[in-house]
Amino acid sequence: MDLSGAAIVGIGRTAYRRQSGRTGISLAAEAVRVALDDAGLAPADVDGMTCFSTGDPATPHRVSHAIGLDEIGWTVNTYAGGNQVALVIANAAAAIITGQADVVVVYRVLDAGVRYGKVTDAVEVGGVEQFSAPHGYLVPPQWFAMWARRHQHVYGSTCEDLGAIAINSRAHAVANEHAIARDPIDLDDYLAGRWIVEPFRVYDLAYEVDGAVALVLTSAERAKDLAHRAVYPIGAAEGTGAGGMPDLWPDQTSMYSRIVAPRLWERTGLSAADIDVACMYDCFTYTVMATFEDFGFCEKGEVGDYFRAGRATYGGDVVVNPHGGLLSEGYLHGLNHHYEAVLQLRGGAGVRQVDDAELALVTAGAGPYGGAIVYGTERPC
Amino acid sequence: MSIDWAKLPPPQPAPDLDSQGFWDSIGHGELRLRRCPSCALWHHPPLEHCRRCATPTEFEPVTSTGTVYTFIVQRQPAVVGYSALVPYTVAIVELDDQPGLRLTGRIVDIDADEVHIGMRVDSRIELLPGGDFHIPVFSPTLPREATP
Repeated sequence: MDLSGAAIVGIGRTAYRRQSGRTGISLAAEAVRVALDDAGLAPADVDGMTCFSTGDPATPHRVSHAIGLDEIGWTVNTYAGGNQVALVIANAAAAIITGQADVVVVYRVLDAGVRYGKVTDAVEVGGVEQFSAPHGYLVPPQWFAMWARRHQHVYGSTCEDLGAIAINSRAHAVANEHAIARDPIDLDDYLAGRWIVEPFRVYDLAYEVDGAVALVLTSAERAKDLAHRAVYPIGAAEGTGAGGMPDLWPDQTSMYSRIVAPRLWERTGLSAADIDVACMYDCFTYTVMATFEDFGFCEKGEVGDYFRAGRATYGGDVVVNPHGGLLSEGYLHGLNHHYEAVLQLRGGAGVRQVDDAELALVTAGAGPYGGAIVYGTERPC
Repeated sequence: MSIDWAKLPPPQPAPDLDSQGFWDSIGHGELRLRRCPSCALWHHPPLEHCRRCATPTEFEPVTSTGTVYTFIVQRQPAVVGYSALVPYTVAIVELDDQPGLRLTGRIVDIDADEVHIGMRVDSRIELLPGGDFHIPVFSPTLPREATP
């Protein structure tokens, strides 16, 4: 059994803004309503809802209530970051295929005011971070700058290589009216960007925004009668190593994708060469570098040349992040990558449409944990 | 209300039942990690029972020396209590006791530009401002073969 007994039939989103001035509930409810409208469905059709967050108040219970439902059936609120986006969507598809729900909405909302909270007093840190936070080492850009440095040491990759990824994403965002950062950049701009945490400059980090994204899933059967051409999740895989602790991952030149890629390609019978659109999770440029290699688009250490040669854009081998990714469209925690994949496979991406897009890879996560989904325009035979 | 980050202390550890011995021993000037008395595997972060053979672990002194696996140079304030220290260098250090046994800590006594992967370091113990906890920091030492 594969996941294509379910289909994505609706997509919705709010504007992405630096400061929305709105609550998470309001943003999520808007994106969910837009996605249902896109599918030709109404809130009353929804009997399942799921999201991922790290304790945000905009829970599936609250959001389903906010769109007018007096009751809701299947709900899952996964405590996770971008590492489990693929898992959340695969679970929604599985709930439909196994008859636990008929129409499931997946959403993610980011509201900068609540995500990490605000420091107002002395901070105490437990868990594994009790051994890192006291050293001034606590936040993800620091963890992954460590990884990028290791890759540079082992494979001779450079900051210019990371820059090639940032430049490619920004060039795509120029054509995307929904993107937060649309001024093109070249290598000089990239190198002139201020250091945040070496070897990362400002352009190596995701662009944080407020906003929400929602996807609507239902059965492949029901999808035939709905508004848009259905897009099918034809395979998914997940993997975690080193207990999910970034500093303990044995070889930081590879990521979770070292575990996930072989599983995904085995389950789908596909390989990197089959993929038309690759929405690579890009919390940092280096995340694209390591995962792109692991998924088999190129050999270790070749990503910079690959991007500079135009192989990751229109007219090349595969279009990577045609929306601009988290780096330039905005940090919607990776659910915006799934939105873009669906839009591309529907043929609805307008000026940034990838010609004859039939298969899209969407990755989710970085470092020791993550997953991926392949979407297709047809169900596998 | 505006918060003056620079006046707040760095994050303080919140010890748990498995880690209390680490903080107690480092507070007394000795770096100790949990080790399996049966199969000799070191564990950090600490575990009550060995992850390989499930034997109860015990805190034992660990060598203070190791090798820089990778490192960062923090150029912008990112963590409370550290604003005044930027730029500062943090490394993941592999201790000599066991491949993959890693400790994280700041690299001191050397310019950030001179820190490199593979550099030999030794740890020393410093008071963490804002409380009674102590933490390890690392400083460069001679290459292993050149150590007298």
